[in-house]
Amino acid sequence: MVKKIRASKSEKFIFVFLIVLGIITFCTYFIIKNKCLFVKNINPKSIAFKKPNNIAILNAPCGNVIIELYPNISPNAVQRFITLIKSNAYENIAFHRVIENKLIQAGDLEFGKKGNLDYGKIGTGKSGLGTIKSEIDNNFNYTKGSVGLARTFRNDTEDSQFFIILQDEPLFKGEYTPVGKVLFGLEVLKKIKYERRSEYILRPDFINSFKMLN
Amino acid sequence: MSIIRAILLSIILIIPVKANTIYNLIKIPNLEIYEINTKNKLKYFYAARPFGLGTQKNIVCSNPNKKDLKIKYKIIHKNLNRYSYDYLKKINLKYIVLCENLSISELYTAGIPDNIMKTLILDIKFNEDYFERVIHHEVFHIIHLQHKSIFNDEEWIRFNNSNFKYAECSTCTKKISLEQYQETKGFFTEYSKSTASEDMAEVYSHMIYLKKTEINQIRKSDPILNNKISYIKNRIKEIDNSFTF
Repeated sequence: MVKKIRASKSEKFIFVFLIVLGIITFCTYFIIKNKCLFVKNINPKSIAFKKPNNIAILNAPCGNVIIELYPNISPNAVQRFITLIKSNAYENIAFHRVIENKLIQAGDLEFGKKGNLDYGKIGTGKSGLGTIKSEIDNNFNYTKGSVGLARTFRNDTEDSQFFIILQDEPLFKGEYTPVGKVLFGLEVLKKIKYERRSEYILRPDFINSFKMLN
Repeated sequence: MSIIRAILLSIILIIPVKANTIYNLIKIPNLEIYEINTKNKLKYFYAARPFGLGTQKNIVCSNPNKKDLKIKYKIIHKNLNRYSYDYLKKINLKYIVLCENLSISELYTAGIPDNIMKTLILDIKFNEDYFERVIHHEVFHIIHLQHKSIFNDEEWIRFNNSNFKYAECSTCTKKISLEQYQETKGFFTEYSKSTASEDMAEVYSHMIYLKKTEINQIRKSDPILNNKISYIKNRIKEIDNSFTF
């Protein structure tokens, strides 16, 4: 006859503890893995915009970023931006320069394309459309969410690269050509892959799509 | 040795990258904002800690004390305020860096212009006697760098007596006094005789700093300086027709 051994209180406690620990580990694994879990994805169709023709939607790994473009402030830059958006040039282009909670930069069409990344040259690529003149004589204040065209150290070298700032940058005023501002989706941008040790990103996130609303 | 290397490497890898907007804009470390809301949109920064520049770190400057900075900022601001936003834009000057004991390769200097970065580094302790004028001297170097094609050294040299020769470089001579000559004879100061570029900068700075009557007096008494003054005036007009001395 087999004698039934009853588990002691402490054994029961350890058993329950291990099960709870297992559940927590399992959940945490999926929560950590899914960086987009708590990011709200905005559907642009559910919003009534004042100027729908100036609305662009950038789709990043964690959802949509809705940007209002300002053709009245920087007509040439916005025109270039729209040209590239409408030609789907920004699709599968890397967010190659990301500074945590500060700035994200993308738009290197030459060296930042998915499947054709050139880490040695990324950030120096061109669109093939030529450079445009800086439009910096405006009173645009670079507050959180502002979108501007990147350039080299010289003015009048703007092309396809753009940046979005995640904090106010008063020194950018009169320095960079503004093209618009993020209306919704800053949280999406904060989830774009960054590295603490470098502004330039190894295996970066990519723009899924970038389209005009209309 | 390898342990030290490993420790250093791990420190580098542990420390996160510090994003500094000023550094990103003008590539000078350790700066903080002093004043950015100015009428002509010049942005003033100061060295919060000493900094070194260049691949050999041959340009160095220290952080000034707050009291000196306050006094000198007023003077610098007053002098640079005479330049309009449009003028500054044409000459590509936007950022002023204030620091102390500025030197290049251990040679002390009043300022270092960098038209590409739109930056002028100024030593706030350089030569108290001629401090205000020197500010404009350095501004001219920015103008010269930005508009090299319109300032012709050969043309300038022809204004001087045929037997006169500039030094090989601005630091190749020990005659660097900034005191204005009583009798000018074609040059405002001893330092004017160093190079054509420094001579132009001295003429420009005197045109800004001296009263109109003093300049007119010099023009009447010194035909060489009269030509040089006209030359600078005409070239500056080419850059900005609305600028007045």
